[in-house]
Amino acid sequence: MKRLSSFKRRFFAGAGLVVVAASLCGLTLTGASAEDKTSKDAKPEKKTEKKAEKKKLTGAELYAIHCNRCHPERYATERSAAQWKTLMVHMRVRANLPAEQAKVILKYLQEDAGTP
Amino acid sequence: MKIRSQILAVLTAGCALGLALPLRAAPVDDEDFKAFKDSVTKRLDLLEKTHEQDQKIIEQDRKVHEQDQQEIQHLKMRLDETQKTATDAQQKAEAASQVQPVHPIPEGPAATHNFMVVGDAEVQFGKVDGSHSGFTLADFAPIFLFRARDNILFEAGFDVRLQNGSTGAVPAHDSGSGTSVGLSFATLDYMYNDYLTFVAGDMLLPLGTYSERAAGWLNKIPDDPMPRSVLPGSGVGAQMRGALPVGASGQSLSYSVYGANGPSSMDITGNSTSLDLGGNVGLKSDGSTGNLHGSPGAGGRVGWFYPWKAHYDLELGVSGQTGPWDDMEHRQWSAGVLDAALHLGPYVEVKGEYIYTWVETDDIGNWHPHGWWAQAGYKLAGLNLDLPLINNFEVVGRYDNLRNFNDAGTIFRKADRYTAGLIYYLTNTLLLEGDYEMASSDDDGLNHNRLVFQFSFGF
Repeated sequence: MKRLSSFKRRFFAGAGLVVVAASLCGLTLTGASAEDKTSKDAKPEKKTEKKAEKKKLTGAELYAIHCNRCHPERYATERSAAQWKTLMVHMRVRANLPAEQAKVILKYLQEDAGTP
Repeated sequence: MKIRSQILAVLTAGCALGLALPLRAAPVDDEDFKAFKDSVTKRLDLLEKTHEQDQKIIEQDRKVHEQDQQEIQHLKMRLDETQKTATDAQQKAEAASQVQPVHPIPEGPAATHNFMVVGDAEVQFGKVDGSHSGFTLADFAPIFLFRARDNILFEAGFDVRLQNGSTGAVPAHDSGSGTSVGLSFATLDYMYNDYLTFVAGDMLLPLGTYSERAAGWLNKIPDDPMPRSVLPGSGVGAQMRGALPVGASGQSLSYSVYGANGPSSMDITGNSTSLDLGGNVGLKSDGSTGNLHGSPGAGGRVGWFYPWKAHYDLELGVSGQTGPWDDMEHRQWSAGVLDAALHLGPYVEVKGEYIYTWVETDDIGNWHPHGWWAQAGYKLAGLNLDLPLINNFEVVGRYDNLRNFNDAGTIFRKADRYTAGLIYYLTNTLLLEGDYEMASSDDDGLNHNRLVFQFSFGF
């Protein structure tokens, strides 16, 4: 009787452990598949985000693209911030610069502008 | 002390009682002694308890006393610090009151107005075959920029020029020098939004890109390309222009649409020799000044700019203008230009234009002045030679031609010119240019070889 009762105890303890382990596995698999779905959906977004981040040109890059086409590059310290603002209006009209790019170039030049 | 005195008093009383009792010699039984002993013991216990309580109170008072002492020390330290701070502040205030303010820093928003002068200056030394060499040109070309707000700009460019070989003021000389002051352009630019800018005034016309990008220190060869002479460089009118970004790689489309006075006739007629590209405001037959004809010309340009990386880009454009030019408005003048510019790295530049005009005339029928030019430049820094002087040189070359014929076949003129030049960049805006031009033409005025040096400064 004592042996049977100890066996019962061990059996139910083991069964309980199996049930708990199975539940944990089930939860884990369910969560992983959900992550897979979201990660799959997120991958193209991440790719496009990465592409967008890659293609977004900095002020230095836009300056190198536009401001060396017709004349040698001018150094930011040659002018004050206010003068660069005036010059960029002039160049935006003269060189047909898109407004957004002109603003980025202006910010780049003003960061290292000279003091009057 | 109190407890001890109490205990002493009890003992003293006990002794006194003990001394007094033997005279009576009365016997004390055990019960009385025991009761007395219990009473004394109880009293002693009570005294002990009271003593312990008093000791505890004393200990507490001692601790409180220590805390108070610490607090007093802390307050003393803070008082010292406060006094020191007050002293320092007083000293600083006294020092500041003695210092004279030199440049008070203004506060507030940035100014909306700004005025500045940019531009360029050149001096030329030349030698034409068959003539003496000499300084041929001095030019000061300031551009005044006045920004009224973030989106309003007034700009005007002048040419103050001293040129040898022009018709002089002294008739006795075969050739003299003349000083001229001319308005190159003067416009009001109003940026309506990110994609549309209104321009009005004496505009540099967007026929090709040369007229807008041909300042002395930008043009790597001192002369203008020959076919540019068949186009008006500027015109009085109004324009809408702008640029649209395409993607985020720097690519863009640009446009401009304008109306301008256009060419006119110098003598009312529509004869080919009367064509004046400068504009139709002039002297009328009644002696007054005004528009010689009432129909302005119209034109525009569309351009595409594609950079595939920094310093590697291609720009293509197509532009044109049309309108009547004679006073009777019977004759039409039209022009079309294809322009292209290519950069292959920071060292290689190739650009050019193809220009074609159609001119209806009274005397020679339809007339077609046209031509094209192509220019290439290579900065020797691209050779990666470890020689600093070499790195500041740029070799340039240009071919330009001019053709002129009419539909009837009675007129045919041509001119071709080859130019080879070398530029030395003393700084990014100070250039020493030298070029040799070899021109051949059935027009004697264009048939020459010439050596030209130019010192240019952009500011």
